[in-house]
Amino acid sequence: MSKKLSRRQFLTYTLGSTAGFLGAGMLFPMVRFAVDPALKKGQGGNFIDVNLPLSEVTDKPRSVQFKVHKKDGWYSFDEVLTAWVLRDKGKIIALSPICKHLGCTVSWEANPQYPNTFFCPCHFGRYTKDGTNIPGTPPPKPLDRYETKEANGKLLIGPLMQT
Amino acid sequence: MAHNQDGNHKEQVHYVGDSRVRANRKKMYPPDYTEFPHKSEAFFPDFLLKEWMVAAVFLVGFMTLVMAEEPPLGDIADPTNTGFLPVPDWYFLFMYQLLKYKWASGPFVVIGTLVLPGILFTSLILAPWLDRSKERRPSKRPVTIGLMLVAIVSVCALTWAAEAEHETQLESAVGSPTKNKQIVDANSEGHKLYQENACIRCHGEQLQGKNGPPLLGVGNRRTAEQINEYINEGKGGVMPAGMFQGSPEQQKILVNWLMEQKQK
Amino acid sequence: MLRAIYDWVDERLDITPLWRDVADHEVPEHVNPAHHFSAFIYCFGGLTFFVVVIQILSGMFLAMYYVPDIINAHASVKFLQNEVAMGAIVRGMHHWGASVAIVMLFLHTLRVFFTGSYKHPREFNWVVGMLIFFVMLGLGFTGYLLPWDNKAYFATKVGVQIAASVPYLGPYIATFLQGGDIVGAQTIARFFALHVFFFPAALLALLGAHFILIRRQGISGPL
Repeated sequence: MSKKLSRRQFLTYTLGSTAGFLGAGMLFPMVRFAVDPALKKGQGGNFIDVNLPLSEVTDKPRSVQFKVHKKDGWYSFDEVLTAWVLRDKGKIIALSPICKHLGCTVSWEANPQYPNTFFCPCHFGRYTKDGTNIPGTPPPKPLDRYETKEANGKLLIGPLMQT
Repeated sequence: MAHNQDGNHKEQVHYVGDSRVRANRKKMYPPDYTEFPHKSEAFFPDFLLKEWMVAAVFLVGFMTLVMAEEPPLGDIADPTNTGFLPVPDWYFLFMYQLLKYKWASGPFVVIGTLVLPGILFTSLILAPWLDRSKERRPSKRPVTIGLMLVAIVSVCALTWAAEAEHETQLESAVGSPTKNKQIVDANSEGHKLYQENACIRCHGEQLQGKNGPPLLGVGNRRTAEQINEYINEGKGGVMPAGMFQGSPEQQKILVNWLMEQKQK
Repeated sequence: MLRAIYDWVDERLDITPLWRDVADHEVPEHVNPAHHFSAFIYCFGGLTFFVVVIQILSGMFLAMYYVPDIINAHASVKFLQNEVAMGAIVRGMHHWGASVAIVMLFLHTLRVFFTGSYKHPREFNWVVGMLIFFVMLGLGFTGYLLPWDNKAYFATKVGVQIAASVPYLGPYIATFLQGGDIVGAQTIARFFALHVFFFPAALLALLGAHFILIRRQGISGPL
């Protein structure tokens, strides 16, 4: 059985490659254009002075609001973010208030029944002071943390830590 | 349907599948190419390959054009910009140009908007019924081909005229868009002379043009001799002569300053 | 494997005759540029279709970033052209492709006209072709406004005024086109709708008819 290419097969393969060239020539710029947001690097982390002296960061979490300049396509705007700032074993932690269950907003001791925890009112998720999810409650993961820096006795908050 | 008297001899009607299309209905097949005594070849893959080869060559040329020339994007639309010269896309230019002629504007505007384009497009649509001869060779149907050639030539001529007129208008338009909107060397003797004389009233505080054309970028368009001539003798019956009241030395400074007004 | 899938589908849907009809029909040599180079004039129709495919694809991708709105349209076009990778190329394909499509369409129409191919029995396909021509002009006119720059705005304003000068119906046509009294927010929204939904739908339907008629009636014979 010789594996010789028939004329028709040869033409069909050539046709297939031509089609591939045409398709790729047309679609390459378009697909690159469409997936660009996925390939763009993040805007990097700017650290923002939240106007909070380090001395005021205590063991008791306090909520801090800060503005982040965001660029959304052709819009740019300031987004107001909140962080729960506290000192845990001497280390400063800034927690994102977004619940890891379904994205509601958690607060410190929001429910008097559960002192000393972050509480999420949507599905009663709870976290310990350092943001660890309490087993048996809905959240699957600990709260996200912001990167922090200290400068001139003041607290700077950066982007969310990559875990 | 034929009903036979004796009943058991009905005419049989056959259908295609479960449809009510009669099986013996005369079908329309595409013409058989054995009627052309020359070579023919299968659409797939033989002919399609040739078509797509042509398409590949075309695509290379097209993408070269696309990469060579960035698509233009002007400033955001500003309805208060009274000086902008509107121009439609090139394939509408011939109809646009038509409306500039006296016999197709004003009271006769219907001729330009409706009658002429109407005649053109209606006769195009009706071409198969207007040209009913069996003859297909161009040389055998001189009237049809002649009319078409006249139409093509007029459309091309109108398009060309519109383009040429637009170019000249752009050059001297009142407040036409200029890429470089900055006055060059604003703190100079020349600018002062410009402001002190009548120039500023027609050509604008920012050289943007008011009753007269803008002078931004005038250095690209005119020579110093031309500007001197316009200042001394006026221009186009609109700009009067002798609007500049300074000395010849001052005029030289002014002209030199105007020649510095170049845009990229 | 592929063969087995094909057979499975074919057994149920009988798809073979569908593509066999298209694939196996014989193409005469007088339209084949490989036989006579002058037959390249018969390529313009196919190339017009190719440009239409480019237009549809690039338009779909542009719509991922574009918004039809008087405040954001210009900003979004500027963004997609200058800040998105290959934006200038994709927009360029759509922008220049529009002109190339008109040129190709024009050449194709002239070829059909000069070879007398619109004559019996192909009168109807000529009419369909002319309708395609009008739809393409409509696409050009509505698409021109969408970047919302000065050129777009003033050209549309003139276009609408020309439409308004038609006796009796003119003012109604103008109001319909503008969606109001001025060329503005409502105009760009309806031009967008016309440009991406109505006209392309009409174009695809007409192209389908055009191709079915060609297959039915065959290519016109040699001169």
